[in-house]
Amino acid sequence: MESKHKLSEVISIVSHQFKTPLSAIKGYLEVLLNQDLGKINLKQKEYLEDAMENTVRMIALVKDLLDVSQIEQGKLDFKVNLSDLEKIIKGVIKDFSSFFKAKNCEVLFKALNKIPLINIDSLKIEQVIYNLISNAIRYSGTKGKVEITLEKKEGNVCFCCKDNGIGVPKEDKKKIFTKFYRSEKAITFSTGGSGLGLFISKAIIKKSKGRIWFKSKENEGSIFCFSLPIN
Amino acid sequence: MTKKKILIIEDDKFLLKLYGDKLRRAGFEVAESVTGEEALNKISVDMPDLIILDLILPKKSGFEILTEFKLNPKTKNIPVIILTNLGQESDIKRGLEMGAVDYLVKTDFSMNKLPQLIKEKLIKR
Repeated sequence: MESKHKLSEVISIVSHQFKTPLSAIKGYLEVLLNQDLGKINLKQKEYLEDAMENTVRMIALVKDLLDVSQIEQGKLDFKVNLSDLEKIIKGVIKDFSSFFKAKNCEVLFKALNKIPLINIDSLKIEQVIYNLISNAIRYSGTKGKVEITLEKKEGNVCFCCKDNGIGVPKEDKKKIFTKFYRSEKAITFSTGGSGLGLFISKAIIKKSKGRIWFKSKENEGSIFCFSLPIN
Repeated sequence: MTKKKILIIEDDKFLLKLYGDKLRRAGFEVAESVTGEEALNKISVDMPDLIILDLILPKKSGFEILTEFKLNPKTKNIPVIILTNLGQESDIKRGLEMGAVDYLVKTDFSMNKLPQLIKEKLIKR
């Protein structure tokens, strides 16, 4: 147990050390892409954008590692405030607009009834929504369809994200919320994931006194849901 | 028109060059320090209009430096923007409660927005 704790501390320190050089790389790329130092041609722009995409991916991975180390040390920082879940979902969908357009994926959102404001850490719940929508788009392939619903139900607010993607194979269903776990099928299909998003999402929902679950059928799609108490 | 003076306190040479060059290109006069002591020495000779402060620094931390700025009558009214990689809610709350006018996380913040943000803070001053 103690060695696990120490390992988490090491991950935390190393991740922080990574952040400074990654910030510098991101900043230098921004300056070049912004053409502060002179015009760049289309091919140069394309290469710099690829470098930026990979830097942003690396930053996301480092942040995920930091979150994991904080979860394991019991130090996950929460700032609870009265929040509008509908607004948060719309914001995440907007952020993803270029991603789902590039994947030719249709994303639909519907609030099924009037959703009250609830006391949550809005940034942490936004992170969960981001992870679930990102997975749905990533594993949907081309011409995917992602349907997101939000519903007030029996003292809870329930979020669901349904896709028509590759689905979770039966043998992987028990392991899907495990840290670093990625199914063979997911690895073959997409190179983007780290296997940390669902582990982090589960920890955040648990700390928010909610519940997270999924249903899936291989080659037909998945639906990932979480519910959060209104009070 | 006189150029506004910005003091950057940052111990990473690559980030210091990046921020310094960006602000010089945007028309600011820039002074650079890698420690709090060096910053205090520079301020005693030439008062900046705004300070950009990292938090993880050698010798004294950014929080300690900010405390000193706020206790010193000569520096207490200079706006300080914290630019750091400490992104925990508790750090953000602490920095803003100590009197920083903004708190930015390096990995999340776009460099291209920095000059405009500084201009806005200087107008509000």
